Parts: sequence; C-alpha cells; structure tokens
Amino acid sequence: MAIPLAYPVRSLLVRKWTSVFTAGGVALVVTATVLLLTLVGGLQRMLASSGEPNNVVVLRKGSTNDGVSQVTRDAALALRTMPGVARRADGEPLASFELVNQPFMITRGGGREIVLIRGVEPVAFDVHRAAHLVQGRMFRPHVGEVVVGVGVRGRYVGASLGGEIEFGRRTWKVVGVFDSGGKAFDSEIWADVADVQDDTRRSNYSGVRLTLDPGTDFGTLKQRIEGDGRFTLEAKPETDYYREQADTTQTLYVLVVTLAVIMAIGAVFGALNTMYAAVASRTAEIGTLRALGFGRGAILRSFLGESLVLAGAGFLAGSALAALGVLAVNTLLSGVQFSMMTFSVATVLLHLTPGSLLAGFVIAGLIGLVGGLAPAWRAARLRVVDALHRA
Amino acid sequence: MSYTRLVWRNLFRHPLRTLFTTLSIALSIFLVCAVLTLPAAMERIIARVGSSVRISVHHEAGLTYWLPFSYVHKVRAIPGVAAVNHFSWFGGIYDEPKNQFPNFGLDPDHVLAVWPDYKIDPRELARFKRIRNACLVGGATMRKFGWQVGQEITLRGTIFPVNLTLLIVGTIPEGAGNPLVLWFNREYLEEAMESQGGLRGVGMIWVRADAPEHVEGIMHEVNELFRNSEAQVTAETEKSFFMGFFGSFRTFMRLIMAVGVLVVGAVVLIAANTSAMGIRERIPEIAILKSLGFGRRPILLALLAESGTVALVGGLVGAGTAWGLFSALSRAGKTGYSQLLGPLGQFQMSSTVFAEGVSVALVVGLIAGFVPAWNGARLGVVEALRRLF
Amino acid sequence: MLDGSGVAATAGAYLARPGRCHLQGNAGRGTAVGVPMIEVREVSRLYHRGVDLVHALERVSLGIPAGRFVALMGPSGSGKSTLLNLLAGLDRPDSGEVVVAGTRLSRLSEDELAAWRARHVGLVFQFFNLLPVLSAVENVELPLLLTKLPRADRRRRAETALSVVGLAARIHHRPAQLSGGEQQRVAIARAIVTDPDLIVADEPTGDLDAKSAVEVLTLLRELNRAFEKTVVMVTHDPRAERFVDTVIRLDKGVLANGGAPAGQSA
Repeated sequence: MAIPLAYPVRSLLVRKWTSVFTAGGVALVVTATVLLLTLVGGLQRMLASSGEPNNVVVLRKGSTNDGVSQVTRDAALALRTMPGVARRADGEPLASFELVNQPFMITRGGGREIVLIRGVEPVAFDVHRAAHLVQGRMFRPHVGEVVVGVGVRGRYVGASLGGEIEFGRRTWKVVGVFDSGGKAFDSEIWADVADVQDDTRRSNYSGVRLTLDPGTDFGTLKQRIEGDGRFTLEAKPETDYYREQADTTQTLYVLVVTLAVIMAIGAVFGALNTMYAAVASRTAEIGTLRALGFGRGAILRSFLGESLVLAGAGFLAGSALAALGVLAVNTLLSGVQFSMMTFSVATVLLHLTPGSLLAGFVIAGLIGLVGGLAPAWRAARLRVVDALHRA
Repeated sequence: MSYTRLVWRNLFRHPLRTLFTTLSIALSIFLVCAVLTLPAAMERIIARVGSSVRISVHHEAGLTYWLPFSYVHKVRAIPGVAAVNHFSWFGGIYDEPKNQFPNFGLDPDHVLAVWPDYKIDPRELARFKRIRNACLVGGATMRKFGWQVGQEITLRGTIFPVNLTLLIVGTIPEGAGNPLVLWFNREYLEEAMESQGGLRGVGMIWVRADAPEHVEGIMHEVNELFRNSEAQVTAETEKSFFMGFFGSFRTFMRLIMAVGVLVVGAVVLIAANTSAMGIRERIPEIAILKSLGFGRRPILLALLAESGTVALVGGLVGAGTAWGLFSALSRAGKTGYSQLLGPLGQFQMSSTVFAEGVSVALVVGLIAGFVPAWNGARLGVVEALRRLF
Repeated sequence: MLDGSGVAATAGAYLARPGRCHLQGNAGRGTAVGVPMIEVREVSRLYHRGVDLVHALERVSLGIPAGRFVALMGPSGSGKSTLLNLLAGLDRPDSGEVVVAGTRLSRLSEDELAAWRARHVGLVFQFFNLLPVLSAVENVELPLLLTKLPRADRRRRAETALSVVGLAARIHHRPAQLSGGEQQRVAIARAIVTDPDLIVADEPTGDLDAKSAVEVLTLLRELNRAFEKTVVMVTHDPRAERFVDTVIRLDKGVLANGGAPAGQSA
C-alpha cells in the first residue's frame, strides 16, 4: 500500500523555509540553463535556418564568406544566363547580384557597431523567398533609399520607417522594413547595389545568390559554374554556407552544456543535504509508518516523491523567471548581439523554445532524482526498531 | 579547548554534509570565476593595448573603407607627431577559417618608432626590415599552430586573390598588444598584387605622439586636415579604438554576467539552507551553552565562523580549480580569439579574479549564515529548553 | 543493595587529599545566618502554549537555606521545572521577586544574568547535556571559557572535576562512548567546575537505569555534604526522597502543602 501523497507534500510545507530555499536553488539553475540554451539555440537557429533550400551561393574560389569575396560583373552576367538557374513567372532569372559592405553605424545609445549592408537588386526578394516587406515599400534605384531588417529597426539612429541613417560616405533614407522570419537577414540593411558600389568605389560584386531550377540537379550546376575556365568561382548550397558559419556555435553549445551540468551538480549537493536532513529528523515518523505496515518501497517512493516535488516546484519557478528574462532581453535590450565571421553584428531575439524548457525540465528532474535517491534509500532501509528507539 | 576548536569540531559533525556544501560552493565559485574572466579579459586587453601616446586614424565610414596612401605622408608632417605607420588588413588564413587570426601588412622601417613599447628583439627587427617576405608573429598564434622562428608559412588570401609565403623571423613578445597578430611587409603584398590591379591605399594609420599632451592636438589636426577631402577620417586614441570593438560583445557579456548572478543566488540559497538546517539541529546545544552563560555574541560569532569557513574553503577550491584549468588550457593553446566571443575567448585567470571569486564565496558564506545564526543566537534559553522537552 | 558507595568513596577520598582542590564549598560564603540563601517572593509565571494560556506558577513564596539538598516534586504540569528555571536565572517571573545569595535577579539585565549564571549556578538537565562533538573533559571545560583563566588552568580544573565524579579514566571519551549514567556524571562535573553556590538539576535521573540513577543521586548528595553546595533538584523519582533534606511539593502552580513547605527551617 502506498503512502498518501499528502504526507510528502505536507512534510514539505511544514519545513517551509528549507523547502523554499532548496526549490529556489533548483529554480535558479533551471533559469540559467533555459536562458543560456535559448541564447545559443537562437543563434544556431538563425544560422541554420538562414539558408533557403534550393538556393546556391556563388563566391570567388577560396573565399570564406560574402565579406571577403569578389565576383566580376562579367562572371555575374554569365551566371545569370546559365542553364539550371530558375526563372520567375515573367522569365526573369532568379539570380541576385549582391555586394556586401560592413561600415560603422552609430547606435541609439551612442555606441559604434559594424553593420552588414547588402547591396541588392529587387530580384533579391524573389531569391531570398523568406524575406518580405512588412512596412513601407521597396527602394528605388540610384536614389540612396534602403530597406532595413526587423533586427535593425530602432537600433541605430534614424533606423525606422521614414528616417535617415548614416553609413559609408553619405546619408540614406529608410523607405521600408522587411522580415525574414528569424534568418540572418533580419540584421541587415538592403540597399541598391549600384549605390553601394558607388559608396565603396567598387565595380564588382561580393557574390551571386541563385535559385536552382527544379529540373536541374545541384551537382550539375556546380560543375558548370566551377568548371568555367573564364572565372574562378565556387558554388555551394546556401544551407551549407550558413551551416558552416553555425559550426562556430558548437563550442558555445559545449560551453553552455558544461555550465549547466556544473550548476546542476552544485544544486544536487544542496538537494542531498536537504533530503538527508529531512530523513534524519524524521526517523521517528518513519519508524511509525513502518510499524503501521508501510513497506520499504512505499517509504522510498514517498521520500523520492518529496525530492521530485521540490524539483518540480523549482522547475516551474525557474521557467517563469526565464520567461521574464527573455521578455526583458527582447524588449529592453532588443535582443542579443553576436559577431559572426564577417565581423558585423547580428541581433538575435530570444525565443523560449520547447527544447530549452525540456532541457530545464530534465535538469530539474535529475536534480530531484539524484538528490533524493540516496536519502530515500537510507530512509527505506532504516530498521523499524532503530527508528522507533531514536524517537 | 577553545572557541576555535568548538567551531572546528562542529564542522566535522556531519562530514558528508559539510563536504557536499563545500563542493556545491566550490562548483559555483568556479563558474563565477569563469564569468569574471570576461570583464577582466576586456580590461587587460585595453590596458595592454592602450598606449597613451598612440593614435589610430581610419576612414570615418568603417574599416573596409581604405585611405589614400598620400595620407600617411600628410599625417607625418603634423607637428607633435613622432612617427607614423600603417596597417593593411590581409585577412589570410593558415589552415581553417575558424582559426583565423589578424594579419596585416605594414612598414617595417617604422615599427620601432611607433611601437617601442612592444620591445621586439632588435635583431629580429633588423631581419624583418631586410628580408622581403619576413614576418613577425605574436606569441599566441605561434603556440596555436606550433610554429618556430625560421619556419616558412603560407597564408591563403581571402580578400585578395593571392597567397603569401612568409618567413617567420621573430616574435612579438607577450604582454604587448594583441598576442595573435602577424605583421609582414606591405610592399610584399603590393608586389604580389601587381598583376591583379595593384594595392590602393592603406586600411588605417597609426600615429605615435612625441608626448601625451600633444595627443588631443594631433587628433584634432588630423580630423580637420581631411575634413572636406575625398576620405574623411576619424582619429581616436588607441584605447578608444579597441573599446569600439567590444561594443558588440556587451549584451552577450551582460547576459553571461546575469547567469553569474543567478549562480551566486543559487549558492546563497543552498548555503543558507544548509546553515539553517545545521543550526536547527543544534538548538538543544545552543540552549545548553546559553544556560551556561554564553551570551549572544560568542554564539553568533561561532556559528558565523562555521559557515564562513565552509564558504572560504569552497571558494578556495573553486577558484583554485578555475585557475588550474584555465592556465592549463591557455598553455595548451586552446584559449584565445574565438569566432564568437572574439577576444573574450581567452578565459585567463588573474590573481584579481581569484581574489574576487574567493571574496564572493566569503560574502556568500557570511550572508547565508547570518540569518540562521542570528536566530539561533537570539533564541531565548527557556524557549529553547521547552522545545527540547 | 545499590548504594552508589563507590562514587561517594571517590568524592570523599578526594577531599581527604592534602592541598584541597578549587572547590571550596559554601562555608563562609557570606550568607548571613538565618537568611535563606534562596528566596522566592510571590512569584507568578504564565506562558502561552499554542492558543492556551498556562498559569505555571501562582504567587509562590518559599525560602531555601544554604547548604540544603532540596527536591521539587509534583505531577506533570505542576510548575516545578518553571520554578527551577526561575531559581537558576534562566527565566524571569511575570511578577514577584527571586533573590539568590542576596542578589535580586530582576535587577540584572539579560547579559548580567548570563554572567551571574556562569559564576553562581551549575546546571544539570535530563537530556542533551553534553555537546556531542566534544570529549568529556572539553565539555567540562566549556563554562571555564567564560572566565579569564589560562588554558592550562582550565584543563586542570576540568580534570579535577571529572576526578571528583569518578570519571578520571574517561576524560577523553565522547558522549557517544559513555553510558547514560556516565554522561550525567560528566554533566555534574561541568556543573561544579566553576565552583558555583548553587547546583540546579532538572530530572537528572529521568533517563537512567536504576543503578546509574542511584549513583547520580549519591554523587549529588556527596557534593552537597562534602562541598556544602546547595542543590535544588526537580524530580519524579521516588527514590530521591531518601537522598534529600527537604521535599517541596507543587501542584498546579502552587505549593501543595499550602503555606510553609515541610522541613523548612527558618
């Protein structure tokens, strides 16, 4: 027969402060874990999801990213007319010529950051299918108009619809805001590629992004591009390109997991202390329960249950705190900045994901389990006679 | 027998519990130290690179905008300027992109004049000037790739469509500037680029003032000099220049520090709990001591000494482990400039961080121990006795 | 027959040695002849237990001459422990006055009372007397930490006290290694080590077997006789009556014999 749930729960309530403190310790560990995982997960997701399936990134051979690559106009034109490149309904090839620049911009707080400007043509919105305007309109060519990603909006001086921003050698007018659904583009400013060429005194591009024609296999197109003797180019799927950048977050993930494990172990010690003390102070009760006829298993489960209830309470409190934290970071700090391989700053908004909450749950559960098992075992193994004698 | 002995004995009353609490604190302080290395790293980098007489001059718009070479000569002519050099970022890669380190072409003849504080070996400097494709490498990069002086290495160009084969003729001593940099002769890059359209301009200019008082004046002059030219510049002190790079890490750091605070909070709760438990169990003894005539203060101090000692030991163990671990990682070359964390990936423990970690532990121990100790010491004797029976 | 004579012999033998130990006894302590050493005047004490208000003592008055061995007896809840606490300066009455060896306890602040206790009273309880982390001699040394005696002297006095109670061979044992009776004897040694005027014991034999109980009672009597210590003991133990000089009975907070307790001499 099992000991009623009321016993462990009431016991916890009687030792009010001890229970609160232990659960509190677990809560803080859960909060820290969830926040960190949300952070890293957000970054990973941004990088991993940034690639559009069926898009191809073409850069100069050997270049590691947009920012350091150079592709001539001739090469770009050749790519546009290459077979294997998809076309829009109106026949326009889905080939986006892009020139990437990384100038300084001043934030509203007065700081100086490096921002990624992508000089594009209107077809960019067709190639980067996830990006769509949510405010305003597309820029007109040659007049210094730009559209900004949602991550940029509000971050820099003048960076909102209708405002004027300064970067490079001139001022630019913000005529629209676009959202790419969490992809890296959210932290970019898109301008007319000719304007950017002007500003950087360049006549070439950084690279070209293509959409693969459904009827063609990637390998074939890749051969065609890389095999062309006139140019030295390299082609890779856009998903791969961003995944390579995401590799750098591996270290961070390892770091975060290590941190979480260390914290959890610390909390386990705390739980162990609490539970051992609980068992020690209640030997008389245990003796009575055993004398009444409750078996070892029932005692074990009851004490283990106490520990798990504490951990559970900690999980709930910790998750709530983490949710608050995410809200605070997003609204007060407008997200977290990371610099990637290109040295420009990408803003990541935090999202409390089921994955991070699950991790918090698991950690809390482990703390409750490991912290409660040994003491519960000891409680179960008390000899009735000893227990009553100590009363 | 003395108060000290009483405190000592009480610590070993429940050896397992004391051990658990100590370890719990040790782990948390380990984390706290890791977190504290971040601002410490930043400060150290600033302190290291922040010469008070060096000025950086770069294009106002950004580092990807280069300056005309003529600017170098114009700046040299400004009164108060002792020496001028320039950087041109090559961005070459040795093996993998993720092991990228900063490499620049500059003017070997003016290295000593602009960076005398780096204390580069004069013989190595002489070879640097003499040999066309020579390069000087910072200690951290040397260690990371296991390079030796006299070795030839090849850097793959990323921005520039050329690869450079360089001869390592010397090192840039530790404690001077960024330990990751590689410096080579800009003219060597110019030659390599001749067939590819040549090399226009410089990335940025470094100026050394002849006296700290002249720095303000020089910066002003430089900004004015190029105000309405084709390329407007920003002249700022070396410190300010490097500080600018850290801006983007600020939020990241704040988040990590917040985690650190959470960790400390968890420790306080756990330590307070354990302390309270221990004291609760000892109410009968406290009652006896009070009945014997021991007043509140000695009892309070004895209880605080207990929690303080546990915390102190835990703090020493945690900070010590952090020290050991990070020193070992550093020696093995595993720390350093990382893609994501930038210069903060160095995780170097300093004695300051060690002291800070231990202090946090001590404060935690005292705070966590205080309320239970206070309550315990204040217990009325008769109340306590009544609770016994 | 159990008579605890072994213990008594030890105490007596101790006294017979040349160079008496620091325990001097009460003779010539300055208590005027005819004035009781302990005076309780119209003392009342109430306290709360949960929601109930308990009248532990109701206007109790009594006097105890110096050098007496007194037992306070009565059923559970009669107020005897409360009275004991008042005599020992562990508690304050709600009304009335307690005077011990000429000192009005109500005049003393908390800290002064603590200091007074340390100097003038030796305490023995039913349970938990000893700190489990300290050895017997360290436990006995505890009260001496409050004095200015140097460490060597403290140790010597503690050892002496332990010899008086017959535990010279066990001074380094921890309480867990001692029997119930031995633990109580250590507690008694601690109670006398500061050479107090008054020894107060709350159910000292309550938790002991017959043999140990008799040993403890015998020891207390010897301390009373040989060292002229005033001993006031709360007890349930009927055996105690033959060891003490006077029995004071309480019932429901008042003296059971109503008026002067039996055996009291003015």
